[in-house]
Amino acid sequence: MSLKSDYPSAADEQLVAWAKDGDTEAFEELIHRHRDKIYARAMIMMRNEVDAVDLSQEAWVKSWQRLHQFQGESSFATWMTRIVINLCLDQIRRQKRTRAESIEEMQEESGGVERQMPVVENNPTEGLESEEVRRRIDEAMGKLTDAHRAVLVLHEFEGLEYKEIAKRVGISIGTVMSRLFYARRRLASLLQSLKRERSE
Amino acid sequence: MKTTEFTLDLQAYVDGELDAKHRAEVERVLANDADARSLVQGLRQLSDLVRTHEPIAQVPESREFYWSQIQKRIAAVEAREARSNREASSAVQWLRWLAPALGVAAVAVMVALPRWDASVAEFAAGGVSEDTVSMTFRSDADGVTIHWIN
Repeated sequence: MSLKSDYPSAADEQLVAWAKDGDTEAFEELIHRHRDKIYARAMIMMRNEVDAVDLSQEAWVKSWQRLHQFQGESSFATWMTRIVINLCLDQIRRQKRTRAESIEEMQEESGGVERQMPVVENNPTEGLESEEVRRRIDEAMGKLTDAHRAVLVLHEFEGLEYKEIAKRVGISIGTVMSRLFYARRRLASLLQSLKRERSE
Repeated sequence: MKTTEFTLDLQAYVDGELDAKHRAEVERVLANDADARSLVQGLRQLSDLVRTHEPIAQVPESREFYWSQIQKRIAAVEAREARSNREASSAVQWLRWLAPALGVAAVAVMVALPRWDASVAEFAAGGVSEDTVSMTFRSDADGVTIHWIN
């Protein structure tokens, strides 16, 4: 039997076990621990607060419903980020964003990457405080298209292999590779321009 | 000059996506190609930079309010599921009652159909047997007329 005072000190695994038995307070403690990470992942994908709050809450509802399916193969936080990422991908598919994005994708897919600049020539964030680097990366990621950002997030933050990204996003491995390269090139270019702005 | 395929191979090399044979091929090229080495270094640098500076954000709502919103959603989903389960269960109950009745009706139709077909065929052919006998009884007092056909 769990005691309320145990919740803050209990491990995630213990809280999950209690929550599986219907203990909503244990579940609330899990939410409290991980809500910022889940929200941040939704925010980086969706780029707006309303969607990020909505989808992060939806992810918690889904996790409550599917908690019995969580067998601990990964950490609870990893399992949760997968749920929120899937919801974001579904939402992005539904939204079918701007025409500008499709033009950019067409250029990317027909243009070939060999004509593009090298990814990073110099460290564009040299001399910056860590928080400032983080802020600039976030800002630069906000300028990527949804399609490019999704692939980048899945690879860099979720640590997924090309094959897994292709499956999750519903594209070929070749498209994953070109989108990833294009996203990195664009990100590097944005970071370089931030560096130039700073030195002027 | 780098081709698209080779550029993407360099990226796959950095991402650890190449098998041993392709990795060895890329390393052979890297040994003699300064541009390729520079690209690989740039890709690694960017990847490290992004991974170590993952953007962070905080839920713009209090713990209590955020949880109360989730609770409401869970309650709504559970109520919807309960309703749909009730409806499904009610449909099953109806089927339990209806199934035997439908079965009997189906058997009755199957039995009656050939006879009905035969009667219709006979009628359609304009045929009334020559052996058919009919009688009529009428009671004026009761205001009733009975036709008997055999």
